[in-house]
Amino acid sequence: MTYSSSLAMGRERAGASFGRNQNAVSFRRQDRKLGPISNTVLLIVLACILGLVYLTQVTKTNAYGYQINNLQQQQTALQNEHDDLQVASARLQSLDRVQTSPVAKSLAPAAPSGTVHD
Amino acid sequence: MGPSQGQVMPIQAVRRTRWWYAFLLVVAGVFLIRLFYLQVIRYSYYHHTALSDQLKEYQISAERGTISAHEGDGTIPVVLNEKLYTVYADPTLIKISERQRIADAVVAVIGGNASAYVKQFGTTGSRYQILGERVSAANKDKLLGYKFSGVGAQEQDYRTYPQGDLAAQVLGFVSNDGNGEYGVEQALNKKLAGAPGQLKAVTDINGVPLAANTGNILTQPTQGSNITLTLDAGMQRQLQQVLAQQVPATKASSGSALIMDPNTGAIKAMANYPSYNPANYSDVTDPSVFTNAAVAAPIEPGSVMKTLTTSAALDQGVIQPSETYYDPAHWTIDNFTITNIEEDGGPGVKSLENILNLSLNTGATWMLMQMSQPGATQASQINQKGREAWYNYMTNHFQFGKDTGIEQGYESSGTVPDPNTADGGYGPALDLTYANTSFGQGMTATPLQMGAALSSVLNGGTYYKPYLVDSVTDASGQTTVTRPAVVKTNVVKPTIAPTIESLMEGVVAGHFLHFPSQYNVGGKTGTAQVAKPGGGYYDNEFNGTYVGFVGGNNPQYVIVVDVIQPHIGTYAGTGAAQPIFVSLANMLLNDFNVTPKT
Repeated sequence: MTYSSSLAMGRERAGASFGRNQNAVSFRRQDRKLGPISNTVLLIVLACILGLVYLTQVTKTNAYGYQINNLQQQQTALQNEHDDLQVASARLQSLDRVQTSPVAKSLAPAAPSGTVHD
Repeated sequence: MGPSQGQVMPIQAVRRTRWWYAFLLVVAGVFLIRLFYLQVIRYSYYHHTALSDQLKEYQISAERGTISAHEGDGTIPVVLNEKLYTVYADPTLIKISERQRIADAVVAVIGGNASAYVKQFGTTGSRYQILGERVSAANKDKLLGYKFSGVGAQEQDYRTYPQGDLAAQVLGFVSNDGNGEYGVEQALNKKLAGAPGQLKAVTDINGVPLAANTGNILTQPTQGSNITLTLDAGMQRQLQQVLAQQVPATKASSGSALIMDPNTGAIKAMANYPSYNPANYSDVTDPSVFTNAAVAAPIEPGSVMKTLTTSAALDQGVIQPSETYYDPAHWTIDNFTITNIEEDGGPGVKSLENILNLSLNTGATWMLMQMSQPGATQASQINQKGREAWYNYMTNHFQFGKDTGIEQGYESSGTVPDPNTADGGYGPALDLTYANTSFGQGMTATPLQMGAALSSVLNGGTYYKPYLVDSVTDASGQTTVTRPAVVKTNVVKPTIAPTIESLMEGVVAGHFLHFPSQYNVGGKTGTAQVAKPGGGYYDNEFNGTYVGFVGGNNPQYVIVVDVIQPHIGTYAGTGAAQPIFVSLANMLLNDFNVTPKT
């Protein structure tokens, strides 16, 4: 028996009775299990995390909704401005305004004086 | 040495653990039961409570369509929309100490009376006091910039009329409840109004819809269609100016005129006097001014009808264009005597030219006699055959007694007496009534009906439906152009048109009216007695009418003029309506590309 094999044998025996060889490393296998309370708490925490994830997505979507709303308001404001300009333009070109303009007042009426035939 | 695998926890530790676990389960159970109660059993209540607070339902208004008219080769808008604001105050939110300060600020921005505003702020039992209407966006922003508690503004769409009172009665207006009244606004209200949309959504505290809610309903509004009229704005403006200058000069109560294309039925100009500004319709005290009398107020047309009586008689072949007859200057029918005005020269041989130029009532009656029995020389020969033949022309050929279907509110169809019944107020004098209709009395028609009927003769025999809408552009941008609609063909034979044109040109020449020789201008006056409400006619009240055309080789425009009860000391047709026709004819020749004769 070599020294190393005797150490190995000793390790095996240590699995059966620990403590005799203080210099040996213990490789005790032990199944870890969560207790019922830990399980419950863990489930609750997981549920909360899922809820937070859902809230995050909903909030993000609603944030887009705000952006859409802002853009729609901008669009409405621009449309209103366009309509106001259209009204102002039409008023400036109204027949009454043109008729009383200084340019129109300096024009002379042109009645047909004859017809040129080919 | 600690516990190793296989060793059991101490009993007390296990019990403690189990007690804590049981406690945790009980607490969780309480929560679950409570949640079950709130979210399942009380679901309806809390769902309803939440929705009533969060769920907002908005109607999204559709923008009303605009209306344009032609101007040269292009179009100009005559009705647009403008967003203006109603400024209001909630008296419950305005402190007494702030009233004067707020009132002064409101006066500085929108005008008005400060003490009146202060009084409004003190109104008890009210949460809405209007401080100003039709306030511009700039003034609204200025006022709201003060951030006064209790002062707010509501946006509202208003119709705006950049051309002022142009075609007021043709256009109509939109009342406060958003409905079109009179004119095109009423006739095409559904097309112009579009359809509102809807937003039903869960919103936040600021009323912004939450996009994450899958139950949101959004229906976009369908914007109103934009309409282009057949009217020529320049022609319309000049027509209105002519009426405004010349109708008051005749001391008439009102007047109407229209210009139409006889080859399509398109109305180029149509106006009434007096008129109004549709932007200020609420200031009008006499609502009769809203009516487009050219389509809604039928009158007995008088002698202008003789053009159509002549057309009908020629078309039936019972008279010939060059025919003459002996006119005794009076006919006795049903114990009544039909005569002419004293200037008509008394009995003698007359021609068709004489009938129209001298406006012989006896001549028109003679034509009805021929419809009854060709070659008739006695008024007693008017019979059912003649009445039915003339009734057929009036109703089935010239479309009197029927709506034309023009795009106007309150169109009137006028009246045509039944040829076979003595009822309806005519009594046993049916032949007399029908004799009257041959010269435009005893029946009623609107200026539009007269214009459309004459057009059907002058264009060779096609009755086109008169129309005002040239094209409609819907919300998607698709434009539908109106095509002339034929109501009846073979109204009269095509050969009748040159005869009638020549006769009407003779009337113009006979009245010493001069127009440039390269154009053809024809017309006919009418002086119609005004009926009394209880029957019979007034002795001294007459309506003046005129129908005519302007063109070169073919009539290009038909003009109809009505002047209601002028007081000018001469015949209403010649003295009141004819000068208006002359002004309009010259206006067309000068400014609107009438094609000269070749």
